[in-house]
Amino acid sequence: MPSTLAPRHTRSINALAARRPATNAIRGPQSALTDFLASHNISAHQIHQEHQRRLREAQQQAAQEAGEADENKENESDPGDEALERKKRKRKEEKAIMKIKQSKEFKRRKFEEKNKKRQKGAGDDDDDGDYDDDSIARNMLYKKAQPMPGQFENCEICEKRFTVTAYSKTGPEGGLLCTKCSKELGKEEKKQQPKKRGPQKGKRWQRENDRMMGDVKPGAKSLVDICVRKVVANIADIEEFGDLPQTLLDRLSQVLSQKRALDPRTLEFFLQADSSKITIYDAAKLETDDFEKIFSFMPELEDVNLRNAGQMKDEVLLYMLDHNPKIRHLQLGAANLITNKCWLQLFQKQGPKLESFKTCNLDAALDDSAIEALVHHCPNLQRLKLKKCWQTTERSIKCLTSLPSIHHLSLSICPDTSADTLSTLITTIGTPLETLSLESFHNADDTTLTAIHGTCTKLAKLRFTNNAICTDAGFASLFSNWPNPAIPTIDLCENRDIDNQNPDGPAETPIGLASMGFQALMTHSGSRLEKLNVKACRHISHGALLRVFDHEKHTYPVLRDLDLSFVAPVDEVVVTAIFRSCPKLEKLAIFGCNQVRGRDVRIPAGVAVIGMMDAQESVVVEGGWERG
Amino acid sequence: MTVRSPTDSTPAAGIDSASSSISPMTNPSPFVTLISSDGFEFHVRRSAACVSGTIRRMLNTRSNFSESVTGVCHLENLNAMVLEKVVEYFYYNEKHKDSRDVPDMEIPSELCLELLMAAEYLDT
Repeated sequence: MPSTLAPRHTRSINALAARRPATNAIRGPQSALTDFLASHNISAHQIHQEHQRRLREAQQQAAQEAGEADENKENESDPGDEALERKKRKRKEEKAIMKIKQSKEFKRRKFEEKNKKRQKGAGDDDDDGDYDDDSIARNMLYKKAQPMPGQFENCEICEKRFTVTAYSKTGPEGGLLCTKCSKELGKEEKKQQPKKRGPQKGKRWQRENDRMMGDVKPGAKSLVDICVRKVVANIADIEEFGDLPQTLLDRLSQVLSQKRALDPRTLEFFLQADSSKITIYDAAKLETDDFEKIFSFMPELEDVNLRNAGQMKDEVLLYMLDHNPKIRHLQLGAANLITNKCWLQLFQKQGPKLESFKTCNLDAALDDSAIEALVHHCPNLQRLKLKKCWQTTERSIKCLTSLPSIHHLSLSICPDTSADTLSTLITTIGTPLETLSLESFHNADDTTLTAIHGTCTKLAKLRFTNNAICTDAGFASLFSNWPNPAIPTIDLCENRDIDNQNPDGPAETPIGLASMGFQALMTHSGSRLEKLNVKACRHISHGALLRVFDHEKHTYPVLRDLDLSFVAPVDEVVVTAIFRSCPKLEKLAIFGCNQVRGRDVRIPAGVAVIGMMDAQESVVVEGGWERG
Repeated sequence: MTVRSPTDSTPAAGIDSASSSISPMTNPSPFVTLISSDGFEFHVRRSAACVSGTIRRMLNTRSNFSESVTGVCHLENLNAMVLEKVVEYFYYNEKHKDSRDVPDMEIPSELCLELLMAAEYLDT
């Protein structure tokens, strides 16, 4: 505090006494900084005062100039030399206007005015340009000088008094606005600007979506596709689909499910009383009432496919059994609220009629006894798919051997099943099989492959994935001299050795689908192969890939979809060779093939390459090899 | 494309200037006529109309359908509004045959379900 200052500062305090209040005046608390500044004879108050004085002086000067202009005005009322004065004044004004016209501010204003005009869409554009210039300049000349920052002013809209800052906005009448009104004005201006990014983002998403699905064909989308998209985009405004054919309903169900737009309201579009089929790919939002509506509304149902039916309860399934006696094909996904007892009832009552039964992602029910009931009561079953039904054990797989007429079998249950059980299963029921899918059976070994080789002769689809025991020699002998005709769809992904210490696997006897097996596979099925997945079969060598995709010796006339992700030896040379030897290729997946650089690969038009390192590059696709 | 309304007494305005681009078909006329259920006639370049699988099969000279002889297709289940949009799509498709990232054609939302049915019927 000044009164308690140390004696050595006394002199300076005295020197300042004229400008400062009495040193012994009582003051409130002060900050340490004020204290420190005071000890060096610096006063914030004084600085503030001086700033105010400078502002005042500036204002006075401005007022004086304005006054001079006024004086000039008064002069003109003088009766003598009136004409002369008027001429003089006019010259002065013209000079001032000329000056203003050259200033930047004038150009900015003129630009704004023009924009405003254009927005209004006024027809008279250029003819009054000169007149406009003059009026703008005159406006600027005679406009009231803007208050300087730091001054008080009344807001033009709300009349409140506020401090003018550099950010204060000009109102509609030219006055200044307070902070609050400025903000609101800014908001409105933002609203008026049209949003530009929205549709572009959607378009980009759609394009990437198409690319991931392998659709990058040049040219316009089909009219059906365009319309389906349009319908889905306007689904909120649609009241009914009318009599759409089943293929279109299926497509709409897919797209609506993808957009998570299948709810009780949209479900009603799919209910067609005389139809025998319903397919809902995402039934997660449907509840008991909705399911019962499906079954009561469509008594002719023969084919029911409800995926993600997480809210489907016992009562719904019993309701279905009561109302829909014709059901032959049943697919239920993730129906975890259905109990074992109810599954048993289903097989007992509907079993003889069931021709296909598919289910997946069941954690709580469908145990061995239910599978036994299925096998016992469904003698006509032709298709069976059990995926991730975790209550089942090896016993279920053993009892599947008594399914006499099964044509399509897909299993992804009980990964610990022994190789013997699998071999017995295949040798017993394998002969009529057209589809065989065995996923993640960790104990399967070469005897399983031998069983397939020896039994199956009608396969059109083969899947055998995620195994680290079967050897390359085993795969090679599976595909060598196999009476089974060439297979269009093959999925042998993740057949490789797993050993952190030795990532390349044993060199002498390669594990999984490696060079020999891959060559044998392509020799056997190449002529009719449409879809091949050898993801993560990482022991296939570079040489084997080049031998297989040598366009002078082999071409794969119908191969559309190829997944070589995580096959490390794949590089630009291999990819180019693939493009040359697969004329019908639509989609190539090469995730994790780090040797492929987008900039070095010329991708033929119409081929979607996904998972390439330089993702941006792969979007820009050039024309390429002559294909045909 | 030229359109003639059913009440129009004058003969069809004929073939527009684009007729100089001869279609690759061996058929004498590079243009075909599509007639909507309410009698509107649309004269469309044959190559564009053949975007539709149904029309292509109708006009196939080997099929000997009456359409292939006369070059006139009666599309009884399409009204003029829908058929006009379909014809617009034919030309849009032909125009963008080889370009990439084609912008979707604008479709009024009230027409999209009818157009979907038409597209399914016409196999486009």
